[in-house]
Amino acid sequence: MRRTKILAAGAAIGLAAAVAGCSSTKHASDTGGSSTGSNTVPALSANLKAGGTVTIANETGATWNCQFNPLTTNQQEANGYLYESLLYINPLQSSATPTPMLATSYAWNSTDTQLSFDVRSGVKWSDGTAFTAQDVAYTFNLLKQYNSLDTFALWTAPSGGGAGMTSATASGDKVTLTFSSNASVFFYDVANMVPIVPQHIWSTVGNPGNYTNTKPVGTGPFVVSSCSADNIKYTANKSYWMPNEPHVQTINYPAYLSNDPANNDLASGKANWGGQYIPSVNSFYVSKSTNFHIWSPPVANVSLIPNTVQGPTANLNVRQAIAYALNRAQIAAIGEQGEEPAANQTGVVTPTFNSFLNSSALSSSGYGAQNLSKATAALKSAGYSSSHPLSLTVKTVTGYTDWDADLQVIKQELAGIGINVTVLDEADNTFTSDLQNGNFQAIMYGPPAGPSPYYELHLMLDSANDQAIGSAGQGDYGRYKNSAVDAAFGAYAAATSPSAQQQALEQVETYMLNDVPLIPVVESVDWYQYSTAELAGWPSAADQYAQPSPWTYPDVEQVLLRLYSKTAQ
Amino acid sequence: MRFVVRRLSMFLFTLWAAMTLNFFIPRFMPGNPLQALEARTRAKLSPAALESILSSFGYKPNAGLVPQYFTYLKDMLTGQWGQSIGLSLGEPVRDIIFQALPWTLGLIGLTTVIAFVLGNVAGIVAGWRRGGTLDSWLPSTLVVTANLPYYWIGMLLILLFATTLNWLPADFNYDPSILPGLSPGYIGSVAQHAVLPAFTLLITSIGGWILTMRNNMITTVAEDYVRMARAKGLSDRKIMFNYAARNAMLPNISGFAMSLGFVLSGSVLVEYVFNYPGLGYQLLNAVDNNDYPLMQVLFMLYTIAVLVSLLVADFFMVWLDPRAREKG
Repeated sequence: MRRTKILAAGAAIGLAAAVAGCSSTKHASDTGGSSTGSNTVPALSANLKAGGTVTIANETGATWNCQFNPLTTNQQEANGYLYESLLYINPLQSSATPTPMLATSYAWNSTDTQLSFDVRSGVKWSDGTAFTAQDVAYTFNLLKQYNSLDTFALWTAPSGGGAGMTSATASGDKVTLTFSSNASVFFYDVANMVPIVPQHIWSTVGNPGNYTNTKPVGTGPFVVSSCSADNIKYTANKSYWMPNEPHVQTINYPAYLSNDPANNDLASGKANWGGQYIPSVNSFYVSKSTNFHIWSPPVANVSLIPNTVQGPTANLNVRQAIAYALNRAQIAAIGEQGEEPAANQTGVVTPTFNSFLNSSALSSSGYGAQNLSKATAALKSAGYSSSHPLSLTVKTVTGYTDWDADLQVIKQELAGIGINVTVLDEADNTFTSDLQNGNFQAIMYGPPAGPSPYYELHLMLDSANDQAIGSAGQGDYGRYKNSAVDAAFGAYAAATSPSAQQQALEQVETYMLNDVPLIPVVESVDWYQYSTAELAGWPSAADQYAQPSPWTYPDVEQVLLRLYSKTAQ
Repeated sequence: MRFVVRRLSMFLFTLWAAMTLNFFIPRFMPGNPLQALEARTRAKLSPAALESILSSFGYKPNAGLVPQYFTYLKDMLTGQWGQSIGLSLGEPVRDIIFQALPWTLGLIGLTTVIAFVLGNVAGIVAGWRRGGTLDSWLPSTLVVTANLPYYWIGMLLILLFATTLNWLPADFNYDPSILPGLSPGYIGSVAQHAVLPAFTLLITSIGGWILTMRNNMITTVAEDYVRMARAKGLSDRKIMFNYAARNAMLPNISGFAMSLGFVLSGSVLVEYVFNYPGLGYQLLNAVDNNDYPLMQVLFMLYTIAVLVSLLVADFFMVWLDPRAREKG
């Protein structure tokens, strides 16, 4: 029942984004198409009156410590509320133009090794000091000086999996970042994930990694009004740079220690914004009021990761047999009660990343639907059958009851072709340790999402992440090694056009179908519940302007800027 | 005197042994703080940066166990409890403890006292009127309720009083939209939020007191000195409380001292079910996230609380009962 998403879980969308950042032309970015120019403000719902309260019911698992360090320990409660990044990039609409926030425009050089931003003028920190390009350069240099702050490895050399940043300088209103090689896949992190902090305060605080920042000064739309272990109360920043924003005046963010109380408060209407799994959400929540809505955009896969170097799943025929035998629609309908959609064998999450999907390859591969005769044949070539069954142990995390239910369905489906599955529920710590050490025959896991399928697949398949079985690896947990796939990831990162990226990704999809290094089962979604009783402007399936869960930052800011009180109008 | 010295040295030895186990057992658990942090950040952030965040809060992944053990003993005894390296990353352990302690003491401590008082009174009455109305249904009911798991009772009460009837809040220690202070609204809110968790504990813990008290009463009532009191023509009330109950309560008192010792470790499940931010909940979080600094301080406090109350119970018994003094 528990799906914990904590701390930097919001960093969910991780390592970078290429799609938006790969052209060498200068973009005068705008949203809504209403205004252009170098210093425009994103046009949001103008002319709305102020008022209204957002109450967030989201399991945080711990009480608040009332510190607001946006760079290390308090990303979830600081970023988007109090601190802002240069641009906002919507991972759900990877081809859309980035929304200008603290930067009004950006430009790459032709080799994607130098990125410059025009910094917005007229922005003030919440203590009244003017925000400048110096603050931006200072923030990036701070990450270099203290490597505990460089959580996206921006200053790490490309050989170590980093972006290879070599300098960050400011001159006038312009900030220029230089990289040692093509850094376009890190654009998402650089522009979207790094919160800008004020130099006049942070230069005096000692080690910024440990800085408690109990009196935060930021550029964001809200300021902290009061904070206790149980609740953070934010109120609107009166000197926020976007005119007439934010409309909502107060946010209450209580610290829920577990899911059930948070879910109860959503169902009773005490809270109006939720972001965690609710079992039987239709009867428990949606049916309680016509104002209660849900929307759960799929963002990544929940996969069975087969161990590709030892045990029965090292045999390709066994992996193929499993992939053919699964009826993913049935698993989604029974195990997930329809709250998560079925995944497909290419590893491309649909419909979110439909444009990347090579659907003809998928259907010709035979993995488009359950195929028991192919499954039986594949298993037979591996030397197993119903009369001589294969025993397979699948590990999962205790407490993820939906995964347990999925595995029960999987168990039945595989029993039909001659695989006896034993499900092993492990405590969090043991599970993580086994996953990273490769200590499994097959293991159920949902990796973090990214703004294109590249990020998930790269994490899960690139053998640069490999460690020997028994040593902790930071990806490629199944120890899949294929130099052609590694090269395709390299080609994607070096690509300077969307078509070249598409081509590289389709190559990876082909190997997903041929080698079955991962067996995607269902698609993990952003859990999101919202009430329109008092507030309007929520993101929805019809208007996917941001990732909708309250724990995804900096997306949370986009939602807060669009929300408005219906009664105040 | 010899008794006191022996009990005290036993106390110190047990404390040392428990603290040594508290140090080693968590470190033999699978996983480590870095892996836990990586899992929480969903493998998104650079492991090098995460490790350096943890070390800036005092985590030493590469130091040997033995030097760490001696620093640990010194730090525990001198109150240098360090900073959390788990869910409340970077927050001083002292702050976490002092934040949670009053809530646990208030809820679990008070409930323990109330359960003891009510349980004993009911037990006295039931034992005195053996076979009476109270005695005919109470013990059999209690045998059932005392053995129900309290998280289950908790969920049942939430379903009934919070979700269905909407009379009482099901979560938090007070309404988070109220600012803490000595206002009537705040105090009322604290009391209101304590009702369901307190009742849950009361329902499951009161049975034990009633049953033992009733049984002790029945034995005591048959004693000669009670018959003597009756023969003297004393009032029933006086015999019940001053002659019978006073003696029957002895074993319950040492049991009470012990249960006070367990107040600190709280009721992990009750705090979890009711989203009540006390020490028990902190323990669960610490264990889930390999938060060694928080875990070892919590375990030390639990150990000390239990040992001290055992010691007090020992001394108390000796003071009350001359037979125990002789055996000494």
